[in-house]
Amino acid sequence: MRQIQPRRNYLGAVGWLWAGNYKLERYLYILHRITGLGILLFLLLHLMMTTVFRIQGQDVWETTMSILHNPWFKIGEYLVVIAFVYHALNGLRLILQELGFLMGRPTPPIYPYRDSLRKKRPWTIAMIAVVVILALVFFYDFVAGGW
Amino acid sequence: MRNTYLWFLQLVTGILIAVLLGVHMVLMHLDAILGFFGVYVNDVTSWGSMIERSRQGIWAGLYIALLAVVLYHALNGLRNVILELTPSARTERVVTWAIVAFGIVAFVWCSYVPIALLSA
Repeated sequence: MRQIQPRRNYLGAVGWLWAGNYKLERYLYILHRITGLGILLFLLLHLMMTTVFRIQGQDVWETTMSILHNPWFKIGEYLVVIAFVYHALNGLRLILQELGFLMGRPTPPIYPYRDSLRKKRPWTIAMIAVVVILALVFFYDFVAGGW
Repeated sequence: MRNTYLWFLQLVTGILIAVLLGVHMVLMHLDAILGFFGVYVNDVTSWGSMIERSRQGIWAGLYIALLAVVLYHALNGLRNVILELTPSARTERVVTWAIVAFGIVAFVWCSYVPIALLSA
């Protein structure tokens, strides 16, 4: 008797990065995860900086700040800002969708079919546009405020 | 069922962070644009500005609240990423308790410092 094999759909760590034949939102999900982990890494450094180095008094704080004002750290800081803006706005989009907004009403499956899931795409594009605008605003401030 | 509540808290803390960290980001980074709108913040990373904020209870309270929601959101998110690898039940317990222990230690230490600096 022929044995039916279950479909091998366990991807492991590959599934973190491989999105297969999926659309834009699936890649935004990967980006959401990458920015989340990046912000977590920053958070650990930031908490270290604002506790261990802050409680030791003015001299240690000013030495730390002079190190952190070096251009490479400023570029890293800008990347963290963009990651936060993206993660926040994409997260708000995900919360709204999880609660059933932005997707239109479900429609009965009568020909010609109207895919209510596709109604979320304009909101996705709008979200990306707002991220780009805010990234430019923060870029202006990083340049105007000096690197 | 337990994970459902954890996920719901993830959504709630996400919204709280968007507000609190939004204020933090605008204050820390948008000094040129705030100046355009007539709000002047002096150099926020200088010792004088920092210690002046540290002495005010409202800032300490805001930052401790932000710390609590951020730590929850970050560590629960990390736990979700790790558990997506579907490890064994034992590994899942180890990961969960390691993350809970780290979160408690980080919260206690990082909220002790602003409280200690209130009288700096």
